[in-house]
Amino acid sequence: MKGRVLVVDDDTALAEMIGIVLRSEGFDPVFCEDGDEAIGVFRATQPDLVLLDLMLPGKDGNEVCRLIRGESGVPIVMLTAKSDTVDVVLGLESGADDYISKPFKPKELVARVRARLRRSDEPAPEHLSIGDLTIDVPGHRVERAGRSISLTPLEFDLLVALARKPWQVFTREVLLEKVWGYRHAADTRLVNVHVQRLRSKIETDPERPEIVVTVRGVGYKAGVAGT
Amino acid sequence: MPRLTAWGRLGRARTGRRLRGLTRRWRSSLQLRVLVSTLTIGLVALALLGVYVGESMSAGLFEARRSQVLAESARSTQQAQEIFAASAASTYDEVALLLEDVTTAQRNGGSGERDVFLMRAPGQTGSLGVRATATDRTRGDLVSRELKQAVSAGGQQWQSVAIPAADGGVEPGIVVGQDVDVPMAGTYQMFFLYSLQAEQDRLDFLLRTLTLAAVALVALLGGMTWLVTRRTVHPVRRAAHVADRLADGHLSERMRVHGQDEMATLARTFNEMAESLQDQIHRMEELSALQRRFVSDVSHELRTPLTTIRMAGEVIHGARGDFEPAVKRSAELLATQLDRFEDLLADLLEISRFDAGAAVLDAEGRDVRDIVLQAVDNATPLAVRRGSWLQVDLPDQRADADVDPRRVERVLRNLLVNGIEHADGSAVEVRVGVDATAVAVTVRDHGVGMTAQEALHVFDRFWRADPARARTTGGTGLGLAISLEDAHLHGGTLEAWGRPGRGACFRLTLPRRAGIRLAGSPLPLAPDPEAAPTATAAPRRSTDPAALPDLPPMTGEIAIVSNATDPARTDVRVDVHVDDPVSAADDLGRTS
Repeated sequence: MKGRVLVVDDDTALAEMIGIVLRSEGFDPVFCEDGDEAIGVFRATQPDLVLLDLMLPGKDGNEVCRLIRGESGVPIVMLTAKSDTVDVVLGLESGADDYISKPFKPKELVARVRARLRRSDEPAPEHLSIGDLTIDVPGHRVERAGRSISLTPLEFDLLVALARKPWQVFTREVLLEKVWGYRHAADTRLVNVHVQRLRSKIETDPERPEIVVTVRGVGYKAGVAGT
Repeated sequence: MPRLTAWGRLGRARTGRRLRGLTRRWRSSLQLRVLVSTLTIGLVALALLGVYVGESMSAGLFEARRSQVLAESARSTQQAQEIFAASAASTYDEVALLLEDVTTAQRNGGSGERDVFLMRAPGQTGSLGVRATATDRTRGDLVSRELKQAVSAGGQQWQSVAIPAADGGVEPGIVVGQDVDVPMAGTYQMFFLYSLQAEQDRLDFLLRTLTLAAVALVALLGGMTWLVTRRTVHPVRRAAHVADRLADGHLSERMRVHGQDEMATLARTFNEMAESLQDQIHRMEELSALQRRFVSDVSHELRTPLTTIRMAGEVIHGARGDFEPAVKRSAELLATQLDRFEDLLADLLEISRFDAGAAVLDAEGRDVRDIVLQAVDNATPLAVRRGSWLQVDLPDQRADADVDPRRVERVLRNLLVNGIEHADGSAVEVRVGVDATAVAVTVRDHGVGMTAQEALHVFDRFWRADPARARTTGGTGLGLAISLEDAHLHGGTLEAWGRPGRGACFRLTLPRRAGIRLAGSPLPLAPDPEAAPTATAAPRRSTDPAALPDLPPMTGEIAIVSNATDPARTDVRVDVHVDDPVSAADDLGRTS
């Protein structure tokens, strides 16, 4: 499964280099150098994944991220030179699924892109329930009392991972590996931010979560099913 | 009596507590101290003054009365003598009557009431022994033998006496005597007894008035001192309170300024100080924000081209099989040096972030044992390459602390890498200790070690104990400096110990909650030379069977593994001691 990847980066040298690497792995890269044009190019090319630099002329990366997320659940991976907590969390909160800190290795880039595109390879028909939600795994649908809730693919994966083993407490590291595909423990802030975002969509009261429950000092687990 | 003893102990404890409370108040309140010392000094001075005034008043009163009494009795004696001289009494009865008359007459002769005694002088042996007369015979024994003797020696004599009063008490009195010649009967002694009760009453009244005045004065003194110290101490207290608030970060806190006096000056200068402090901090904040911005920009500007170079390098490196040897080797060098450059850049940016004060602690409650296990897991491949092995000793109880796991892991990684590189193929021991306030991790190696002098410098930036050695082991030279900053950011400590030939030990101590001031550490830094390795009977379980070589479970503490010369022994042993099923399961979950 090879996909089209939109690379939004104003540094043409880096964009070209990323293009070379992606092409050598069989992907189909398209480019955009300007934040203002990014959304237009996105609509025109309909990519399977977006690689987005944070610092862009025109609209900045966070803004572009919000715009894309506003109309599509396509996986977004930020390219960031900043590893300061605030910057990363801001990027994740504006809708990115994952981020890669510069400088990165080609293998790392390809692995992340693959991990984000891989997810549609699981066909097994499966219906899960967590709290008062029902999940149709192959159909990528989450429903509460007959009403559909729209989640991004990553949020969906996170929810499914928790729902499949409702008796187990997942550490952030385990979730990183299961959902994001990291081999080694990386930044657990990814998990925190996405759990917050997931809660804001599926919890009746995000302040008092009942579906994704925090286990202090350990991690997260699914709430009691069928209530 | 255990009950009684218990009560006694309770009572003692209460008294002790009250005493301690008082001592604390005494130490903490300037007002109390000034008040108490002023009152003490005032009371002592007034008491001394009172004693002096009382003494001199009583002496003056007595002296005045005495000279009056002496003059009066001299005159009376003279009178009596004249009567006796003019008398024509010639028989015993006549003389007796004469004496009786004179005595009675003299009783009312002076100022106020007095008693009169006419007694025969001692040693008189005349033929006509008329008996003594007195206005009040019961008081005759107030005239002492010594006085009689003194009077018979001639002249007027006197003595102070205590007169028994009707109410059972005594009154002060004075007895004056002189010889008189009685016709036919020879020498008699005439005594006058005066009461000084009136003087005593006057003195008592004066003293009472004085005491009242003194009490009023002391009260006034106390009140004034209290008022004055209050007026002085109150603004100081307020200044202290405001300074406290300032220190807590309420930078806009100010003192109120009243009038023009010294206190107003204090308030004004205090406010000026606060103003300039706020200004200063504001400027620093701006500078820090600028610096942060700069670091962030530099980071971005440097990293983007580095990413391109790095990717290009990797692509070239990946295709090196097609190149001729010189180009191939160049591609390899390019790749390895890019790694090094990248590490250095990352460390430089990290340390400049600390310098700018831009480092933020992202703390969460974690079991430090888990972080240690993770770090040990990650360091194991390096240990394998170096022919060294890691040995972990964890406490049974949870070692929960509010830490930034990313930073703690980085510190441990640096310590482990450092330990492994200096272990020269021997064991690196990792221990975790926990007490009520702190969690400690020590990383001990048994390699070349270092001098105490070197141990002082290991956290310096780019400092290397042995320059020649460092070239081959790599590392940026900033790892330990960053670790130290990380420890400080937690409010913790990172210390090093070393002796040449005996290895080195690094100890990370972290407070379990933010705000705890560390007084010590749960683990010792320097190894105890006397402590022999002791075997423990506690069963050990290995948490990570996949990563472990197939060996029987260990029962020793630290040093039993040191038979490293055995060639059959596998080079890595992660010997983990965990009794907590939750974290064990957690750990298994992570590695599955």
